[in-house]
Amino acid sequence: GMRRSAPRGTLRGLLKSHKPQLRLAAGGDLLVHLNFLMFLHRLAEEARTNAFENKSKTIKPEHTIAAAKVIKHL
Amino acid sequence: MLEGPVQAVLAPGEHRVHNGARQLLGSGRIRRRGPGSVGAASVAAGQGEPGSGSPGQRGHSQARLHSVHPRLCHVGEPRAGPGSPLLSEAVAFAGPGTGGVEQPVLLADLLTELGLGQAQAADAALHLLHLHLQQRDDVALLVELPQQLLRRGARRQRVRVVGGASFQRTFLPYPYRHRQPPGPGPGYHRRGPQLHLHRQVDGLHVLGRAPCRGLGGGAGALSGGGGRSGSSGGGGGGAGAACGPRRLALVDAAQGEDGGHPHQSRPGSGRDVAAAARRAPLRQQPAAFPDVDNDTPRVLLRRVIRNQPQVSPLAPPVADHKETEDAPSEPSSRRTSSMVELQLPDIVPEDTSISTFRMTRSRKKLSISQFERAADKRLPQNQAHSTLDSTLARSLRMSLGSVLAPDTVEKKGLLRRPKNRKAIDIAAFEGGVEQNMQRKAQNYLVDLQTASVIEAATATSDAEIMLNNTELFVQPQSVEQNQKKLSALEPQLSESKTPVQRSEISNATQEEGKLVGRVSSVGTDEGRTRRYSEEELINDGEHVDNMAHVSQKTSANQGEDEQGYSQQSEPMEQLSTSEEVAGTMEHHTNAGYSEHLEKKLTEKAESQIIMSPEEEGVAEGSVKHQDSPKPEPEMARSARAGSLSRHSHAFSSFEKSGTKPSEEAVEQADELLEDGAVMGELDGSEEESTEDETEMEGQESEEGSMKTPTFVRAPAYHPLPLLSTPHSAKPAAPASPLQPQQAKPVPKTSRKSQKKKREPALASSYIKQIFRHYAKMPVTRDAYQIIEKCCEKYFKQLSDDLEAYAHHAGRKTVEMADLELLMRRQRLVTDKMPLRVLIERYLPMEYRKLLIPVAIREEDLLPEKCRVTSQVSEIGDPNGTVNRTPGNPTQLLAAMFASLTSFAQH
Repeated sequence: GMRRSAPRGTLRGLLKSHKPQLRLAAGGDLLVHLNFLMFLHRLAEEARTNAFENKSKTIKPEHTIAAAKVIKHL
Repeated sequence: MLEGPVQAVLAPGEHRVHNGARQLLGSGRIRRRGPGSVGAASVAAGQGEPGSGSPGQRGHSQARLHSVHPRLCHVGEPRAGPGSPLLSEAVAFAGPGTGGVEQPVLLADLLTELGLGQAQAADAALHLLHLHLQQRDDVALLVELPQQLLRRGARRQRVRVVGGASFQRTFLPYPYRHRQPPGPGPGYHRRGPQLHLHRQVDGLHVLGRAPCRGLGGGAGALSGGGGRSGSSGGGGGGAGAACGPRRLALVDAAQGEDGGHPHQSRPGSGRDVAAAARRAPLRQQPAAFPDVDNDTPRVLLRRVIRNQPQVSPLAPPVADHKETEDAPSEPSSRRTSSMVELQLPDIVPEDTSISTFRMTRSRKKLSISQFERAADKRLPQNQAHSTLDSTLARSLRMSLGSVLAPDTVEKKGLLRRPKNRKAIDIAAFEGGVEQNMQRKAQNYLVDLQTASVIEAATATSDAEIMLNNTELFVQPQSVEQNQKKLSALEPQLSESKTPVQRSEISNATQEEGKLVGRVSSVGTDEGRTRRYSEEELINDGEHVDNMAHVSQKTSANQGEDEQGYSQQSEPMEQLSTSEEVAGTMEHHTNAGYSEHLEKKLTEKAESQIIMSPEEEGVAEGSVKHQDSPKPEPEMARSARAGSLSRHSHAFSSFEKSGTKPSEEAVEQADELLEDGAVMGELDGSEEESTEDETEMEGQESEEGSMKTPTFVRAPAYHPLPLLSTPHSAKPAAPASPLQPQQAKPVPKTSRKSQKKKREPALASSYIKQIFRHYAKMPVTRDAYQIIEKCCEKYFKQLSDDLEAYAHHAGRKTVEMADLELLMRRQRLVTDKMPLRVLIERYLPMEYRKLLIPVAIREEDLLPEKCRVTSQVSEIGDPNGTVNRTPGNPTQLLAAMFASLTSFAQH
């Protein structure tokens, strides 16, 4: 389904807050948003799997924490 | 014809070879010699093959000349076979090339023998070849090569007759010719590929040629097997594309047989005679083998076969060109040969590796089972779960490679969870109760404000209870109501000093009043607060103990006590809070400020709940230090009541210090509110997540107030450094470890708006929405906190990585290439999954259009996917960073589908 539009301004602001000296190309924030979506996707999938393994119908914080540890950036 | 070459071959006059050849040849029709007659050689060859066809040789790859040779050898073995053995042996001799020099001699002998019976020899050779061809492809190969070499029309004809299709197939004199020249090879004879035939090839060639010129040529070729390398190369080249593999096989065999045999310069184009003649002198081959005379051709052949590298019949027909000088030979053959050779060694290490791996695995299993037993023993309780846990543990160990520790922890965790839960439940219950009481107190305060407190001194309990939920948000009216109530409560307060109710009520009122006071007590005098505090003290005389405890206890204790009290005196609290409110209201002359503050109160109602206890403590502490122990009970009450009172206390403390201008107080109030709200929320959400699953943040804050009161006070203390004494901060500071962390950043924001600017955080609702969509499962609120943290970490790491990539490229701007590289590193983009597909899959249409300018075209032109994708891939990537979809039609289809589906979604 369609989600909201990407918060481009927020993304740029976030990047600026971390790295003020860094610039971003024109469509860069879109790709950043894409990367963010995929990151959340992977995190959600992993958390979902953890919840299933725990025979839980909901995703609990411990599932999310375990999922975050598995997802490795680089 | 035969005679010529045969004679040439025989020219060198190697006796033994001649003898051998004689033997071979003689077996045939010639019958002159031994058992083998050349005449029957062909027949025998054909017969011998099936009869004697070495099983091993048959297993050889088709292209293996080796196999052919052995076959021939075998064929030649049975002496019974009339002429075939001779021929076969001759060929075998030639093939193995053990005695390179000898072979030609042999062949020469053969030739001579054959030549003797020229017609017969020719027929025999032809027949032999024919038989070979019929029976095996190898033979065909053998035949082909010579055929290829046979460029002369006459020979061709003969060859065709013999080999038929195979011959024709492989008969590529011209290509062969072409190939030869480029080939290096010192001794290579460009002219006569035939001459360059490898030994085997030569042999074959001889055979093939037999019909043409009798076996002379063939024999010569065979005999020249020593120069197989050259011949094979030439033969290989000659074979051309038609029978590449076969050629390779032949070459392979030739190579193997050559074994370092120096490239023999074959006789020039000279037909059979010349070739034979030249081959004859090529007997430079080292006599690696004993005298031919002593050893039968079969023995020689066997030796050769043994020494030659064995190529798996299953392997692709590749010839080992490594040693060949057949540079002209097709490079593919070399490659294949190298591949074949490599395959063999590859198989071996694989096996070893696999074997070792299995061994380790088995060891692991043993240890795990032992572990399980030990674990089971250790956990008698878990016997019921032992099996499960053991299996789980085993799997975990296997996967994680960890020792028992995590497993036992898990096991124990599984078992202990119920126990822990009980304990937690109790504590949580208490905390929840306290919080509820506080909340209710706050609600009651609000209710009191709205309704007449006096009237509802006792009845308000019910009314308050009823109005509990709604009153909380009716605060805007509270200002006036508070004033009324305060005024009304005051007399009550003064009247009812001893009764617990009143005390409680006073507490409640105090709390509320304090809160309101904070709102409106910008410029209240200390005396007024003191007065109220005194009143509160008097009223709360009974609660002095608690208050004292409260003042000294940690926030948790306070909370509990408060809750305990609140439980008992809910209705009283209402009154007390209302009283307090009324009292404070009196003091606060700045209605405007109060209104303003109250508005903020409403906004931060939830935080207030936390704030009130915090501020109570703060105010109490400050008051205490500043004035007297009076604030203690105030603090106690306020803590019970909730945030409101604390706020008021805070303000009272401000007032007492007398250093706080109204504005400052307001600011501080705001800060406190904000801080409290922030901290309360954070604390509540983080700490009380397990307990409070409701959506009410207030509840969370209340639950967390047990742990957070001191911590919540921390921010309250921080903005009060000017006003309050450090004493007040002390009790709160050490209470919660979170104070320093959250208190510091929070106070920095003086304005609510600044909070966002300081931390441009993504909207949590946005993250929630996305995560929920991807999770497809209900997600607890606490889990969202974790996700929020993960996102923060993610963005931090993302910015670091992008900066590194841009810096690595010598740029200060992050480009699309950097982002694609980032995704590649995260294995989101692979060779099979180009970036463009991901863009089409995840991003909405408008963004896709931006990133892929020709996105639309790609979708519209679905039928022309092949053309379009190429266009799109080229056009759509202005930076040249987007991966190009490979020309694979399936992938193109997939890309088109992806684009179409995404397009259809919009």
